[in-house]
Amino acid sequence: MIKQPLTGRLHTPLLLTLAVILVVVVPLLNAFGYISNFTLGNWGKYLCYGILAISIDLLWGYTGLLCLGQALFFTLGGYMMGMHLMRMIGGDGVPTFLSMVGRREWPSFFIPFSSFPFALLMIVFVPGLLAYVFGYLAFRSRIKGVYFSILTQALTYGAALLFFRNELLMGGNNGFTDFRMLLGYSLREDSTKRGLYIVTALLLVLVVAGCKWLTQSRFGLIQRAIRDSENRVLFSGYATANFKLFIFVISAVIASFAGALFVPQVGIINPSEMDTSKSLEAVVWVALGGRGTIIGPVIGAISVNALKSWASVGATADFWPLMLGGAFVLVVLFMPKGIIGLPAQIQGWIAKSRRAKSPEEPSPLSTPPEAIDP
Amino acid sequence: MLKQITHRPTAIISWLMAFSLYFVLVFVSRADEVSIRKTVADATVAASPAEQRALISSLKLKPAAEAVTLFDRWKAGEIFLFKDDAGLTTPVLLTGTAAPDGSFATLRLENGSPLLAPDGSPVRINPKTVEAAETDSGLRKVMKEVSDLVSLADPDLTKRIRAIQDSAIGQKLEKLPALLALKATEKNQSALRALDESIAIIQLRSPISSERVAACTQLGQLKSLPAYDTIKTILTEAKKASDGPTVLAAKAALKAIDVHVSQINAAGTAFRGLSLGSVLLVVAIGLAITFGLMGIINMAHGEFIAVGAYTAYVIQNLFATGLKLSPFGVSLSLPGMDLGAKGANLYFVVAIPASFLVAALVGILLERSVIQHLYKRPLESLLATWGISLVMQQILKFTFGSNNVQVSSPAWLSGNWTVNDIVFGWNRVFVIGFAVLIILVTWLVLNKTSLGLLIRAVMQNRNMAACMGVRTERVNTLTFAFGCGLAGLAGAFLSQISNVGPSMGQLYIVDSFMTVVVGGVGNIMGTVISALGIGLADQSLQQYLGNPVIGKILVLGAIILFLQWRPAGLFVTRSRSLD
Repeated sequence: MIKQPLTGRLHTPLLLTLAVILVVVVPLLNAFGYISNFTLGNWGKYLCYGILAISIDLLWGYTGLLCLGQALFFTLGGYMMGMHLMRMIGGDGVPTFLSMVGRREWPSFFIPFSSFPFALLMIVFVPGLLAYVFGYLAFRSRIKGVYFSILTQALTYGAALLFFRNELLMGGNNGFTDFRMLLGYSLREDSTKRGLYIVTALLLVLVVAGCKWLTQSRFGLIQRAIRDSENRVLFSGYATANFKLFIFVISAVIASFAGALFVPQVGIINPSEMDTSKSLEAVVWVALGGRGTIIGPVIGAISVNALKSWASVGATADFWPLMLGGAFVLVVLFMPKGIIGLPAQIQGWIAKSRRAKSPEEPSPLSTPPEAIDP
Repeated sequence: MLKQITHRPTAIISWLMAFSLYFVLVFVSRADEVSIRKTVADATVAASPAEQRALISSLKLKPAAEAVTLFDRWKAGEIFLFKDDAGLTTPVLLTGTAAPDGSFATLRLENGSPLLAPDGSPVRINPKTVEAAETDSGLRKVMKEVSDLVSLADPDLTKRIRAIQDSAIGQKLEKLPALLALKATEKNQSALRALDESIAIIQLRSPISSERVAACTQLGQLKSLPAYDTIKTILTEAKKASDGPTVLAAKAALKAIDVHVSQINAAGTAFRGLSLGSVLLVVAIGLAITFGLMGIINMAHGEFIAVGAYTAYVIQNLFATGLKLSPFGVSLSLPGMDLGAKGANLYFVVAIPASFLVAALVGILLERSVIQHLYKRPLESLLATWGISLVMQQILKFTFGSNNVQVSSPAWLSGNWTVNDIVFGWNRVFVIGFAVLIILVTWLVLNKTSLGLLIRAVMQNRNMAACMGVRTERVNTLTFAFGCGLAGLAGAFLSQISNVGPSMGQLYIVDSFMTVVVGGVGNIMGTVISALGIGLADQSLQQYLGNPVIGKILVLGAIILFLQWRPAGLFVTRSRSLD
């Protein structure tokens, strides 16, 4: 250990500053008119995506489980929040999606969603339960690696097919929209939007802090051990299935909260969000930002989505999928550690070229172990 | 000499007689035709509607196709009533092309000869100024009766059977004599069956109770599907009239038909399941190679299918009038060979190998540039190939536009084949045949060629094969190209049964992975069985629940549960390695 890399030494203060900027400075700037409401709304969305990205990273970066169903949990959280918001619209009669299938009354499962605490409970409970049941079945029979990815993909696909049906009474392919009130505040007010942004930023900070703590704990150690060699952990006497199940449920709930905060900010939720390609897109953010780190996925989510907002309007719109796809291939091939790992990667290249140039290179035996360690 | 003389007159007489007979025959048949035309012509100028109807009804005695064509022209307003200076009305047809003043040459309706003015010059009339012969509903009804009789005598078998079946509609007892007469002369088995069916359906309305009972029994024996609703109506009516024997007979007939219907449905479901299974098999077999054997999670598999389908599209246009493309703003015009109808039937034969080759070439390109770096990182191959699938979709959009393109089926793939009321569509039969062929070819390549041996060796243990001197890189490339080529074939084939668009591949990607995973990775036979199983399960559930989406969701759920029971799929490839 000669010296810690720069990012490592400044890690905690840097993160704290970032947190203060996101939670306090940005909303203040917005309140005084330096940041437009539109930009703030966009950032609210990016931060939700950041939370979703962390939930994927918990599974993929730290446990080695590539889950393609995170979009499902995200959307389920959104639907739970959407149900509450639909009940809050008020007015006579029922919304169109119910009257369209001949319903005059709210279905009974909608009624308790009038209460916000109940909705919150469901945001935790519904995706959590689904993740628990699915995870229990999958991990018990030791489905792992690619199989796990493909099964979660199938789960998402099946759920999307179900939610597209009008008979499910969840709005069919139009989903829920036209929200008005949340906890007595009008969703159209700028102050409510700012409030939602602050809540999102706070949740992000909490999730980052919580995941940092979790991954640095003993649990995190076992988690990474499972990622690197599950069988050795299993043979050492750990019930790996339970560890995986725990982290799977946790990350489903985190994704669900992200979705629940996403819906009031964008004002719509429909089953097209419940798509495998959305999960894969979120996986791109994680890969680009740097998996196996907590802050990397957030950076990836924000940068890819900011780029997307910029690129998917006007003349460059057609080229956006090309850019996204191309970036993905390049990152997988050449930047396995993402943006976060880029400084170390460049340092490595520089060191390598320097060694290659210097003729009086010391013999391998005298070089410190770090240098020959790949 | 004398003998000769005596003989000659008899010879002459017999010759004369033969000739005259010939002329008489010709004349009579001509006269028949003339008389039909004459009758119709007389009808157009008849004084009263009743007289018109009587004249047209008289044609029922000798139904001929000629009458029907004349009726059609009449109804279309193509018969004009020309009034000459003497006030005499002549029905005429127009012929030739319009003169500059809009007038046409005329033909007399009654014999088809040109209509001449008293001075011998042909009469030309302007259709805008001359009145056309009109029809009323009563007349059209009589015409319909005549043309029904004509079609019952149609020499074309399918048309005749259609006419026989149509004659039962409305259960008009007055149609019975014609049908019974036809039954006496009809030779063809299917036409006879149709006749029995129609006669029985009409007899359900018979005033005589025993005839109704007999008709019910007959229909039950025939397992007649079209009679089902009619028998039901008869049953309710008989119940009201407390007509015991008819009720019993109708119930028995309905039961017999019900049994038949459930048999047909079961057979139809099995057939559709088989064809769906074949579709799954065809789209998944390429993946069974790239994913199953090589371990590459090829999310771009769907786009290779699309590449194959677009290849079929390009070939089709090359055989027709050519194709104009503008990939990335570069306008590109491919000349066509203008083969017309022949090209439309033949292009598919060329498209099949072409789609294999094009997709395989794209596969080689992809393997050399990206995949070869990812053999040891399967999860990352998933991500990289997903990126590639986005890029490929966008390139297809840029090249061919984002709308679906039209790929037509050759004539020999349309139409169907009905056995015992079960309909086998040719394209579905083709699907099954194609799947069998592809499996056979894949099996032969993998098990009976030296390339197959190398493929299996490298896929089992890359390092060991390399140590034995196998050029593993080349084998990898070829294997991947083979898998992609099979996906391309699937595309050419899907172009015949579904839409071709830039994102068509996305529809099949989940299904393909499911099929391979259920079958057991690394096992072609497993893929075959799982594809057929999923296809049959899907169609049976769909038939049973009457709802395709719920059926599909249940199948997905069943697959997830199935993998609990057998996590490695149907057929497990055993190995000693742990991870």
